Amino acid sequence: MSSAYREEDASHQATASVPVLDLRGVTKTFGGLRAVSDVTFAVPERSIFGLIGPNGAGKTTLFNLITGVYKADVGTIRFRTTDLMPLKPAQIARVGVARTFQNIRLFGQLTVLENVLIACEHKRKAHLLSALLRTELFFRDEEEMKKRALELLAIFDLDSMADEVSTSLSYGNQRRLEIARAMMLDPKLLLLDEPAAGMNYGEAEGLKTQIRWLRDRFDLTVVLVEHNMQVVMGVCEDLHVLDHGETIAHGSPEVVRKHPKVLAAYLGEDADEQLDAEAAARPNENAGQGADEGSSAAPETTELS
Amino acid sequence: MPRTLRRAIVALALIGLMIGLEFGFERLVTDAAWRQLALFAMVNVIVALSLNVINGMAGQFSIGHAGFVGVGAYTGAVVASSLHLWLYQHHHSESAPLFHNSFLVMPIVLLASGAVAGLFGLVVGLPSLRLKGDYLAIVTLGFAEIFRLVIATAQTGGDAGGGLSGALATLGGQNGYAGPNASQLAKTATDPEVAARLLSYENSGVPQYAGPFWIFGAVVVFTIIAWRLKFSGWGRALRALREDEIASAAVGVDPTRYKVTSFVIAAIGAGVAGGLLASMRDGNPTIQPDQFTFNYSFDAITMVILGGSGSVTGAVVGGVFVTFTVKMIEQLQGLESIQALKAAHPSLDLNALRMVVYATVLITLMILRPEGLFGERELFGKAKSDNKKKAPPSGEPEPATVAATVATVAVPAVPEETEAK
Repeated sequence: MSSAYREEDASHQATASVPVLDLRGVTKTFGGLRAVSDVTFAVPERSIFGLIGPNGAGKTTLFNLITGVYKADVGTIRFRTTDLMPLKPAQIARVGVARTFQNIRLFGQLTVLENVLIACEHKRKAHLLSALLRTELFFRDEEEMKKRALELLAIFDLDSMADEVSTSLSYGNQRRLEIARAMMLDPKLLLLDEPAAGMNYGEAEGLKTQIRWLRDRFDLTVVLVEHNMQVVMGVCEDLHVLDHGETIAHGSPEVVRKHPKVLAAYLGEDADEQLDAEAAARPNENAGQGADEGSSAAPETTELS
Repeated sequence: MPRTLRRAIVALALIGLMIGLEFGFERLVTDAAWRQLALFAMVNVIVALSLNVINGMAGQFSIGHAGFVGVGAYTGAVVASSLHLWLYQHHHSESAPLFHNSFLVMPIVLLASGAVAGLFGLVVGLPSLRLKGDYLAIVTLGFAEIFRLVIATAQTGGDAGGGLSGALATLGGQNGYAGPNASQLAKTATDPEVAARLLSYENSGVPQYAGPFWIFGAVVVFTIIAWRLKFSGWGRALRALREDEIASAAVGVDPTRYKVTSFVIAAIGAGVAGGLLASMRDGNPTIQPDQFTFNYSFDAITMVILGGSGSVTGAVVGGVFVTFTVKMIEQLQGLESIQALKAAHPSLDLNALRMVVYATVLITLMILRPEGLFGERELFGKAKSDNKKKAPPSGEPEPATVAATVATVAVPAVPEETEAK
């Protein structure tokens, strides 16, 4: 009896220390192109994890590998203790990995409520036959699902437009609806693909608090792919930087933003020269991505701000 | 329960109506040709309703639906004939099919037709629904043609041998299957009394058990099924799938599973329609492979598109409309003026002219209403409108419960509560 107890205890401890998402040596090639090359990282429970890199670095490909849209050539991808590699996208969604898309992918002709309802279709207790016979279970199920969906929409402040066709929503509301739909899966891991795309400074600031709020409200782990450094640096606890499919840096935002390889990737080949130039003269203008938020005060040293 | 009570009343009323039709149809429509046309239109409605599941709701493109109707028709014909002969032999019923016997024969016929066609649907659908668009279309077309040609080219007459070719030979090859072969069976009967009984059987083709009761009844049942499929979570998931496969998969809707299921459902529906067609009263008592050519598949597609892809009402209207339009144009040929024209110009091919007229009708309709007569909407209330703002929530919306759920939202509730494991 005691041994069984101990075993249970041990397994419990094991799950506690197991990262939510664990990638090891993941490689994916398309023809001659190595889109993702030997990427290894682990995302701890309840963290907000950023995946960054210049365009074409393989960030979205990595998301597609995690969610099963593509199959990795080599490596392992684990969600807690579940091996995601043999699973199909729908199965991966069901074990608790939800995602949003770079270009919003809502079900355009469906209403807001219906969009969210699709995400709990697999939890339906009443199956096709009871839908055909319109049994009590069917009605109860439908009612329960609708209730849950409306509750969720209320959390995202979308309940007032539940019956509107989703394409009629404003851009910001569509983004929120996509997240609400993902949350209907009751996920433990949420992958956000460029949530700040198309947002202005103020909206991006709002997004930071929203992401933290999401994590706390739904007890989540969040992984985000993002170009907007304001968001990435402000919200992520851990960063993983890719360039041409390869890992070039990993660590906290403070470490990553000063990492020479990262600077080179973002600022170009001549980053060293720039560093020299900046050391020589206080720069007012900064090349590349870092200049996006140029309105802020000029940085003391070169870093991604 | 008021709902149960309401359903029981509706069901009883419908059954009453069907029995009324069974016995009153001949008086209602005195011309046998028109009766045949009306029943054929009803069978076509079922074909259109079933094709609508895969082509309309699931957004796949199957162009071999006639194949599944054919599978169902041959299965139905064989089962009905065998049962009929069995009844004749053992229960001394008459050579002509009787209404009360149809309650034994038809359920078995329809179950067998649906099951066999559904099985074929699974076998064809499982590998091919991983394909997209045109490729699926080619596979379905291939299936329908292979099915038709296998039956049409089977060696008939004499000793066709045993096994598969022997079994196929009994289906009559190009000439079609024309009911049970009682005299053949009599030869192998050891009991002379049984043999004599079998020899006295007057074969008048496939026994026509499917009267208006069964055919109109099946239309009602299939319309209800199609309606409920569409307005259920399952139908909703199909619509989502049609919009965006990748996003559907990302929220747990498995595209392949949903597509295969809808394909099998469509095949079952087509099979049942075939079973009805085989033993349709006033219909052709032989089942021939040429009934299930690509033309028939194409007609079925026309019915669905014309009525409005995805619309149940549209499929019903489309089925009736196409069947009657084709017939109308045929009737036009009988007009005196046309006959005179034909006499004046013997080289004029009226059959080709018919297709020209038909095509003109179709093209005109598609120009006037490119989304079909109904679009994806329905005739009654529960409009699943494309761009209307006030689309009611799907399922069978009951204002009271919706209001209640909205009210409960105001109270902060724990979402996990409803997730029962």
